[in-house]
Amino acid sequence: MSLLEVRDVTRRFGGLTAVDAVSFDVHEGMIKAIIGPNGAGKTTLFNVLTSFDRPEEGTVRYDGVDITSWRAHHIVRRGIARTFQNTELFEEMSALENVMAGAHAVTRSGFLAAALRLPWTVREQREVAEESGRLLRLVGLGEWADAPAADMPHGLRRLLEIARALATKPRLLLLDEPAAGLNIAETSALAEALYRIRDRGSTIVVVEHDMGLVMEVSDEIVVLDRGCKIAEGPPRLIQKDPAVIAAYLGEEEADEL
Amino acid sequence: MHRNVDIKVAVLLGLIGASVFSVPLLTADRYMLRVLTFVGVNVIIVAGMALLFGYAGQVSLGHAAFYGIGAYASAHVVTVFGWPWVAGVAIAIVLTAAGGLLLALPSLRLRGHYLAMATLAFGEIMRVAFVEGKGVTGGPDGLSGIPFPSFLGIEVDSAGGNYWLVWSAAAAVLLIASNLVRSRAGRAMLALHGSEAGAMSCGMDLTGLKVRVFVISAAFAGLAGSLYAHVVGFISPSTFSLHVSVLLVAMAVLGGTRSLAGPVLAAVILTMIPFADAVIPGLSRSAVETIQEWQEDVYGLTIIAVMLFVPGGIAGALRRIAAKGSVR
Ligand SMILES: Nc1ncnc2c1ncn2[C@@H]1O[C@H](COP(=O)(O)OP(=O)(O)O)[C@@H](O)[C@H]1O
Ligand SMILES: [Mg+2]
Repeated sequence: MSLLEVRDVTRRFGGLTAVDAVSFDVHEGMIKAIIGPNGAGKTTLFNVLTSFDRPEEGTVRYDGVDITSWRAHHIVRRGIARTFQNTELFEEMSALENVMAGAHAVTRSGFLAAALRLPWTVREQREVAEESGRLLRLVGLGEWADAPAADMPHGLRRLLEIARALATKPRLLLLDEPAAGLNIAETSALAEALYRIRDRGSTIVVVEHDMGLVMEVSDEIVVLDRGCKIAEGPPRLIQKDPAVIAAYLGEEEADEL
Repeated sequence: MHRNVDIKVAVLLGLIGASVFSVPLLTADRYMLRVLTFVGVNVIIVAGMALLFGYAGQVSLGHAAFYGIGAYASAHVVTVFGWPWVAGVAIAIVLTAAGGLLLALPSLRLRGHYLAMATLAFGEIMRVAFVEGKGVTGGPDGLSGIPFPSFLGIEVDSAGGNYWLVWSAAAAVLLIASNLVRSRAGRAMLALHGSEAGAMSCGMDLTGLKVRVFVISAAFAGLAGSLYAHVVGFISPSTFSLHVSVLLVAMAVLGGTRSLAGPVLAAVILTMIPFADAVIPGLSRSAVETIQEWQEDVYGLTIIAVMLFVPGGIAGALRRIAAKGSVR
């Protein structure tokens, strides 16, 4: 059984069909890439999968359960985490606090327990701080723990968002263009981080424009063009797929394929 | 290093607590004690405003209404039903918490200016209700003869007793608030303020979060209202008008975000301005009357001056001082 089953998902904005009857599966333990030209509907698809947005048609099943109409925070708590194409960090909070915020999904001290500062909430808090420190080191940001997110360089901010997403203990991690704006060294560090994350037990779906990275890390690729899925398969086959090459013609990425 | 800072903060808080506590032992000046008691009442409300505005980033221009609901509810059940004062406090807290819930639910879809407008409208509606609901509120003339707070039949009727009562409540409220901001809940409030999408991606229930903060801040204002009514013995609609809501927002803004100490200091300063003669000996009566006449302008100018010259309000200034201290 696949971890994620996307079936005939359609999302329209007025006359524009941003995602058009898209179906695919994600199996546990793989790294799956979603690629496509700008405006292909990749981010919209992520928004639908995480209930940041609602589809007009279609269903999303996760771990055998229909989650299409679930609210976003329930989906995160069930095990699907995400990052954003335009980072959505908590700028005034430190890197460590940002990651600790991610642990919200997997901790339980509520307002009443916190108001009374019950001992178990203090313990929970300490454990969260320790685990968050580990996650920062996992993505290579150990040195930045006390820096406000706003003060961090662009490339590191993307890694911070990944660490925050990992703090929710996701079984499925959705990354929206994690390599955007990264230099070559940072991109290869990212690839290493992705393998480590997968090996810790998270399945990954990554939207990415950096074809070098996509071809290197992904087990399978879904190609979207103007909302429609035009191809799906392992990287070797996708590189040769005539429909894919046609979609990218005129795009800057064509020569990279 | 963190431990050291914690100890310093604990010592500082202990000193502040001890000096606040000892005021009635050092002076019998009823006017001064009354003014400082009133400062304590405003500290209770501003603690809620700090959570709502400074941490969660939500604006309310209607908090004087909760203050009023607490005051009238408590005064009514004690004077008319003859309930004990403690029950009056409980009713005040429960009713204002419920009011906070009722206001929060429809307002949740609103942000920024629209949320401000909705809370403003709520404040106005309640002000009219205080004026028109003569049966309960005594109308424009207000309610007088509200008995002093009492425990087990013992009336707290001295100026010092009232001072201690209000400041004990303020200490309890500040403890709750500081526990909250240092917890998972506090981090969620800051996250909500920082990025709603980011907060959602952390599994935070934004609706639940906003409702809770609204309810807590309303309940704090309700508690303050009950204390005010019984300490002063007289309440009327003008005490709970838009003017007061704006003053509360001014305290929160002047105090700065992500801080309790900042807004508390702001509450102390802004509450004392019109009664400066209570603590500054030798300030002439006419000087005070001039200040009171220009009160609104003084508030306005203070806020503008802070925004221009002290970025981040009092909290920002405190953080800069703390940063300098730790470098040294
Ligand atoms: N909220 C929205 N309202 C209207 N149109 C939108 C909205 N979000 C995305 N779109 C449109 O949907 C299409 C797909 O966008 P997007 O999913 O961001 O593409 P991608 O992430 O593949 O670059 C684009 O044409 C975009 O302009
Ligand atoms: Mg996109």
